[in-house]
Amino acid sequence: MAKEGLGLEITELRLGLPGDNYSESKKKKRVLSDMMTSSSVDTEDENGVVSSVEDNSSPVMKSQAVGWPPVCSYRRKKNNEELASKAIGYVKVSMDGLPYLRKVDLGSSNSYDNLATVLEDLFGCLGLGVANEGKKCEYIIIYEDKDRDWMLVGDVPWQMFKESCKRLRIVKRSDATGFGLS
Amino acid sequence: MNYFPDEVIEHVFDFVTSHKDRNAISLVCKSWYKIERYSRQRVFIGNCYATNPERLLRRFPCLKSLTLKGKPHFADFNLVPHEWGGFVQPWIEALARSRVGLEELRLKRMVVTDESLELLSRSFVNFKSLVLVSCEGFTTDGLASIAANCRHLRDLDLQENEIEDHRGQWLSCFPDTCTTLVTLNFACLEGETNLVALERLVARSPNLKSLKLNRAVPLDALARLMACAPQIVDLGVGSYENDPDSESYLKLKAAIKKCTSLRSLSGFLEAAPHCLSAFHPICHNLTSLNLSYAAEIHGSHLIKLIQHCKKLQRLWILDSIGDKGLEVVASTCKELQELRVFPSDLLGGGNTAVTEEGLVAISAGCPKLHSILYFCQQMTNAALVTVAKNCPNFIRFRLCILEPNKPDHVTSQPLDEGFGAIVKACKSLRRLSLSGLLTDQVFLYIGMYANQLEMLSIAFAGDTDKGMLYVLNGCKKMKKLEIRDSPFGDTALLADVSKYETMRSLWMSSCEVTLSGCKRLAEKAPWLNVEIINESDNNRMEQNGHEGRQKVDKLYLYRTVVGTRMDAPPFVWIL
Repeated sequence: MAKEGLGLEITELRLGLPGDNYSESKKKKRVLSDMMTSSSVDTEDENGVVSSVEDNSSPVMKSQAVGWPPVCSYRRKKNNEELASKAIGYVKVSMDGLPYLRKVDLGSSNSYDNLATVLEDLFGCLGLGVANEGKKCEYIIIYEDKDRDWMLVGDVPWQMFKESCKRLRIVKRSDATGFGLS
Repeated sequence: MNYFPDEVIEHVFDFVTSHKDRNAISLVCKSWYKIERYSRQRVFIGNCYATNPERLLRRFPCLKSLTLKGKPHFADFNLVPHEWGGFVQPWIEALARSRVGLEELRLKRMVVTDESLELLSRSFVNFKSLVLVSCEGFTTDGLASIAANCRHLRDLDLQENEIEDHRGQWLSCFPDTCTTLVTLNFACLEGETNLVALERLVARSPNLKSLKLNRAVPLDALARLMACAPQIVDLGVGSYENDPDSESYLKLKAAIKKCTSLRSLSGFLEAAPHCLSAFHPICHNLTSLNLSYAAEIHGSHLIKLIQHCKKLQRLWILDSIGDKGLEVVASTCKELQELRVFPSDLLGGGNTAVTEEGLVAISAGCPKLHSILYFCQQMTNAALVTVAKNCPNFIRFRLCILEPNKPDHVTSQPLDEGFGAIVKACKSLRRLSLSGLLTDQVFLYIGMYANQLEMLSIAFAGDTDKGMLYVLNGCKKMKKLEIRDSPFGDTALLADVSKYETMRSLWMSSCEVTLSGCKRLAEKAPWLNVEIINESDNNRMEQNGHEGRQKVDKLYLYRTVVGTRMDAPPFVWIL
């Protein structure tokens, strides 16, 4: 389900069809336009990129048919939740000793300090620091990168970290050996 | 048989368990009707508004188990407003007043409140089993009453319900004396779970066979739970995230190996797929696998898991498995009877996940397949013809091509011939869902060949009233017909009013039926409830001079022996 390789616009939760196998849709235009409610649709997204759906309203309107595809609302909700968190920026965070996971939107953080604050709020854990800064806190933050290695948060530039971070973990400083901390 | 005393006849009836058969027995003669009704313990009511609690209790005073269904099927797809109806409260009140010895209650698409659950828990001393499917209106407080008050609770099975989670301590409301649990399914709960209470409950439930956890139960807790319940048959894993080198994971692997009775696996609501190998040792025993909520399990990890599951009879999966994945299923799972492939991307992402090729592969590889639900991007008539040839034993065939009105993607023809082949070959077909570009022709085929068809779902299909007429005239066993966005109107609706007495219900939304058509129907058939659901226009409909010609947005009609229901909300107009 991961949408690797697609541009940023794909993560926008629009009711549009980014696929390109809808040339047949032109034939069905007259049938669908009777059923759909909205009348016109912008085929350009915010970035000014014309979407691959060239013809007008019908392909987009299809998705707007209530209750279509016929997936029960419980399953639909789960699916939406899944998609929302797959949008760039959401990573899972676990904290040692706590039996649940949280999700944090990396996309909305702009620095390590910001991230540390967000995590502190999320877990009610004060003084969370990044790398060697949080010497006083008994917890440190580590992250799993693209290669499935666990790294100390704060070692690499923020942007690079944002792009490679798959998941976060808050661990006890005393348990975290091998990260080069004193 | 009539020379035997009643007790003997009753004893014979004990061996007849299916509702259909018992209903048939009761029609043989007055004496059998009487014997049957006093000995009937399990009652199934497919539409809670077809009758009422008083009539139920009058006829079956020795009732122990009741199954009720409320909202119409299309309510699942948000086509029925929440306040439409289907309240269980009056039923529980009436059952409680009558002091019937209720032991089991199974509800589907009903509105259940905490008050209902509390009343239920206090009114029936021997209450054992509560199964709620796609219900709403209650919170974990209601669950707490059930836990606290039902001394002999055996089953608490919550499937896909909308439950407001107060993050309370409902699990700790099970008294220490409660040791009778066989089924505990709370996978649909969103909130945090008291793990200590859960572990203690599982530890004191030696009969526990089915345990389905929610996503708040992490892997280390799972390890402990499985270690104290090695007799488990049906497991729903909650969260499955961990470091494969951790101690918890090692403990889990050891615990899994001991679960030699495990036959059914589901959940993995949050998953680290590389840890799935822990389950490989028991996969050869699995008969049921539901990974349809496990969006993170796909690719090679999924394939490896499936390759171990040679005895699988039931598989529910996401379309991210792809055609290639389905080919692996086809070559591995020779015992497969039921397959459901759900869409992983509802926003029309265009990632061509599964196509007709996957379906054909499955039909070729799995000779025992009888039930399928298949969401896909595209289909061809040729593929459907092949599937029909390979699998003439379908009982349920539900195909959903994600894009409405999509024709055969190779020939650009409608899919009439393909579905026609299915109904012609599958003589036992009881349930059918159509999709893609379809003309009246497909309905001609359905009317001609689908003799056993009981439920038909139609969307964006057909050209004229003839289509619907073919079905109404041809399908003698039709029970539930649901139609949306199709050009069927008053002519078809009114052609044979007596047909609806043989059916449970008819749903028509965004079709061509008019208000005057519905009114005429209601006049001709007083034993039908003809409901118009018009959220915005109800008042306008009455006042407008041209009201007769106005199209009805949603029509739901059903046979009933108790007339108009009293609990309809203002936007439901019962003619």
